[in-house]
Amino acid sequence: MRRGRLVLRRFRRHRLAMAGVVALAVLVLAVLIVPLWWPHDYGDASFPPFVPPNAEFPLGTNKIGLDMLAQIVRGTQLSLLIAVTVSIVATTLGVALGSLAGYRRGFTDAAVSRLTDLFLIVPQIAVAAILVKVFDGSWFTVALILSAFYWTQSARITRGEAMSLAQREFVESARAAGAGTARIITRHLLPNMTGTIAVNATLAVAQAVLLEAGLSFVGLGVQLPDTSLGRIIFDNYTQFSGRPWLFFWPFGVLVLISLALNFIGDGLRDAFDART
Amino acid sequence: MGEDELNLTRYVLRRLAISVPTLLVATFVCFLLVAAAGDPLAEQRSRPGANQDAIAVLAHELRLDEGVVPRYFHWLGGFLSGDWGSSIALEPVFDKVTSAYGVTFGLVIGAEVLALVTGVLVGVVAAVRQYRLADHVATALAFLLFAMPVFCIALVLKDFAVQLNDWVRDLGLTGLLGNPWIRTSSPESLESHGFGDLVVKYIGAYLLPTLAVMAVSFAGYSRFQRASMLETLNTDYVRTARAKGISPARVIFRHAFRNALIPVATLFSLNFGVVLSGAVITERVFNWNGMGSVLVTAVNADDPYLLMGWIVLIGATVVVANLVADVCYGVLDPRIRVG
Amino acid sequence: MRRSRAVRAGSVLTAAVLALSACSGGTDGKAGANVDVNAMKTGKLESGDDYKLAEAPESEEVKVGVDDSFTSYNANVPGAGHPGANAVLTTVLAKPFELDGANKVLLNRDVMDSVTVLAKDPQVVQWKIKADVKWSDGRPWSCRDLYLSWLAQSGLPKGADGKPVFTPGDSGGFNLVDSAACKDETTFEAHFKKPYLDYKGLFSTTGWVLPSHILEAKTGIPDVTALTPAGDPAALKKAADFWNKGWLEFNPELMPASGPYKLVAVDKNAESVTLEKNPQWAGAKGGPKKITVRVIKDRNEMASALENGEIDVVSSSQPDESVTKKLQGLAGKGIVCGSAQLLSFEHLDFNYKRMFGDVVLRRAFMAAVDRKAIVDKLIKPVYADAQPLGSVQFFQGEPGYQDRYGAKSGLGPEAAAKILSDAGWVKDPDGIFAKNGKRFEVTITHAASELRTSTVQLITTQAKQAGILVHDELDPKFTKGRAQQGGYDIALFAWSQAPFKAEGAPVYKSAGNGPSQNWQGLSDPKVDQAFTTAVSTTDPAEAARQYAAADQAIADQYATLPLYAAPSLWAFRGIDRVYLQSYNGVLWNVGEWARTS
Repeated sequence: MRRGRLVLRRFRRHRLAMAGVVALAVLVLAVLIVPLWWPHDYGDASFPPFVPPNAEFPLGTNKIGLDMLAQIVRGTQLSLLIAVTVSIVATTLGVALGSLAGYRRGFTDAAVSRLTDLFLIVPQIAVAAILVKVFDGSWFTVALILSAFYWTQSARITRGEAMSLAQREFVESARAAGAGTARIITRHLLPNMTGTIAVNATLAVAQAVLLEAGLSFVGLGVQLPDTSLGRIIFDNYTQFSGRPWLFFWPFGVLVLISLALNFIGDGLRDAFDART
Repeated sequence: MGEDELNLTRYVLRRLAISVPTLLVATFVCFLLVAAAGDPLAEQRSRPGANQDAIAVLAHELRLDEGVVPRYFHWLGGFLSGDWGSSIALEPVFDKVTSAYGVTFGLVIGAEVLALVTGVLVGVVAAVRQYRLADHVATALAFLLFAMPVFCIALVLKDFAVQLNDWVRDLGLTGLLGNPWIRTSSPESLESHGFGDLVVKYIGAYLLPTLAVMAVSFAGYSRFQRASMLETLNTDYVRTARAKGISPARVIFRHAFRNALIPVATLFSLNFGVVLSGAVITERVFNWNGMGSVLVTAVNADDPYLLMGWIVLIGATVVVANLVADVCYGVLDPRIRVG
Repeated sequence: MRRSRAVRAGSVLTAAVLALSACSGGTDGKAGANVDVNAMKTGKLESGDDYKLAEAPESEEVKVGVDDSFTSYNANVPGAGHPGANAVLTTVLAKPFELDGANKVLLNRDVMDSVTVLAKDPQVVQWKIKADVKWSDGRPWSCRDLYLSWLAQSGLPKGADGKPVFTPGDSGGFNLVDSAACKDETTFEAHFKKPYLDYKGLFSTTGWVLPSHILEAKTGIPDVTALTPAGDPAALKKAADFWNKGWLEFNPELMPASGPYKLVAVDKNAESVTLEKNPQWAGAKGGPKKITVRVIKDRNEMASALENGEIDVVSSSQPDESVTKKLQGLAGKGIVCGSAQLLSFEHLDFNYKRMFGDVVLRRAFMAAVDRKAIVDKLIKPVYADAQPLGSVQFFQGEPGYQDRYGAKSGLGPEAAAKILSDAGWVKDPDGIFAKNGKRFEVTITHAASELRTSTVQLITTQAKQAGILVHDELDPKFTKGRAQQGGYDIALFAWSQAPFKAEGAPVYKSAGNGPSQNWQGLSDPKVDQAFTTAVSTTDPAEAARQYAAADQAIADQYATLPLYAAPSLWAFRGIDRVYLQSYNGVLWNVGEWARTS
């Protein structure tokens, strides 16, 4: 616990990371609260198209007359949901398999390593594209598909970490005391890897947000009626010069999320890394 | 030395012995996936006036009337003997995929090398001048490039290029540089008279996509190099060297830089397959008909053998790149080979 | 993502005169904009029903950007028949009839003397080729080539195993020809099983005419006209093997031209095709010396490539507001752009086998959909004169067109709600109608397309106001199997090519035995009767009346709601006359393009 407090204090001193936390918190609150009182539904296409920003539509309307503010709020919600899902699923899977492989070694390790190799070899973008076709383009499917590729990263990192931790005295003594694999992993290995895991999870979220945007751009990402910031940008990027507000608002939010996450990841790394 | 080489060969062989079966399993999994994507001829079948007999013949020829497992082994047999099958438009997959690969490879390799060189330089400077202006600028740039989707970068580049070409016209330089000079889409040819002209044409054709591919990789390399450089700068031997009074420049380049390069070189290799398939977006924006265009076509048409050709080629690239990375690492850092 | 079309254009022989608007306007007074694009839809020497390429000053290379890849010289095999192939072949392979920008059917006077119906029932048609028409390799373009084209596409020749040996993608029309023969080197005569009013489409829009002398040389068959459908299976098989596969890979030796341009290079890698003048071409010899056709998939990239001077002409079959606006904005740089409507229409199909078996629901849904609002938002920004389509048999501007849906659709949410409440439907607390525990909740299913997604979003909003809950379901495989099995409430997709009405009949006639495209389960004796009469009559006027009757009967069924014809867009700089032909693309009259700068 003492270490936790120390890490927290260090993290608080990291100004950019704190800015990231604040920005992200504000954004999350906004996308949760705004829909409660905002009069325009994100699916209501009855408004006139291409209204420039005004009092009723602060961010204007798009080509079919959807309120852009409602759109961006909805897109941000789903983008964040995708990101969080990816980070939870991928991290859980990766940490579980990685620590098992690193601790047990031998056959388990070989099996997990082959599995990660397999996922490394298969080109993500092709498989993601096919899977979106085989299943559907809902945000949840896309999140699961992205998770399927991100878990290898955390598995690799956790495996290395678990391997070195397994040699340490306190693990040895726990084992000597008759603790089982599950207990050793959850009680002894995981608490000592939180830093690595947290940093990696944060950065994976940042990457997932961008990868989803990229997939949407080639038409292989989230499909309507679900949406995402990537999709909204893709739908409006051609308005870049003519009606810049249609492009720059969703773009700005995406960059904001991505920057904030990167800063937080950086701050976490600094906070955990510095040994005392 | 002799024993070392033997060890290395053995190591490479062992890695290969693991990678090749993995690649095989990967092809099987992908084959099942591709088959699940749908019947590529369904749309043709459903047209009024469609000649069902002809479509049946075509389906038979493409072996779509067989079970997926026998079809896989038939494909694999053909594949290993050099026959990669044909697309549903009956074009040989091998020619189509390999030529697209050539296009993408040509685009990516230059961009990646440039990104590596600039990234490493910026990373070193940022590390040496940690927490000073140069470091902050480099960090900000890297974070910004990290945070931006690549097609947004491409968009800005294109607008700028059209403007630049207008200036070239206004200045009457079209005779020298060509009209248009900077191209926003792939060139039909790089036919040129003389070396100077070739350079000009090459720059015109490759500038924008290269910058777009570079942008993302550069951010990664510079951050990675900075971190790795900081680590080496803090190692005992560098501190010792410094304490001995060796000039800082010498310490940085003779001692720290070389060691800090190892992880980045490895990253370059590991990344290559990802970057290659990630060029899909850049290619699309700049209308290069490389792997990206083949992938989008194949996915939209549910074209089974074309997709398989694509997947295997990229998969093989990843295997080879990883092997190169391992070897680099093995040569540069002998400790790895033991494990 | 290409809009998937359930039906490829088969034949578009119709005298439809589609309205058009120049997207660059002409009233805003910008330089380069005061060009009348509308006047470009006809050929320079077009007169009456005749077409001939005009002389134009010879000019340097022209670069053209299109949105579909070139597939194969033999576009008659499945998988190769594609807009991308047509766009190039239209100027490479001669055809008896040409279509101008307005889709008017014109006799190609450069290569034909006449095409005559000798007898009506049983129908006999004679194609008379001009003397001295040659392929680019100097061999005559003759009756033999038409004969081979018919033989291969009729689907009649069988191999030793009794299976058809040729694999044409489409046999429509050719399979109605019982027997055919060359009366002499330039006269081809075909005897039809039953009246076939669309005969002008044969060899012109269905089935390209390929060089028979190449096939003879490659297979060692001395004379293709000696091959008959019932002839020697071995010889037929030999001919078919070459016809099916021999022209797949590019080889200039095997691919002579009978049109004004010949193929000199096909780069599948760069997706570009290079054409040069055919020195043996029978007609006018001017125009661009060289044409490069390039595929540009991203329509916004088309605009920047044109602006940047990388290409001279661009065309897109899936334009949107932003690229239109961008091109319009380039009028000051001398770029002219035009837009028209394609021969394909998007529509909503109601599935009788599900909830929409109840006519009340079909009526209410149609009443709730405001097509004008959809067209105003989605189509007008590209094609300013767009109106909702009022027929499933005729396009706007075509003789026989009548708006049969104006009084059925777009009546407003109140009217729709009234239809429902009159039939005993009551609104749930959340404002959605329900009856006997069944809510009016339906799904619109469609394949991927931006335009369709936007359309569904608009319909969802409109339906909700009327108390109907609509879900949007995007299924990339929808037109690849699922629609055929009737697995939907409402299907949103396009039929391209309705004017070829005989082939459109199976879409609406009661599904009997054999292949049918009537996936929605519509069955109405009136519709059946009208189509049956229409396809068997020998009188074009009677056929038109029957198609109109069928059209009205379908409308009275509230079976399907036509929305709009999809728009197309093209733009060019430095050329006097470019018009995007809905079926064959921009190159249909490239031989008479003159440089203006």
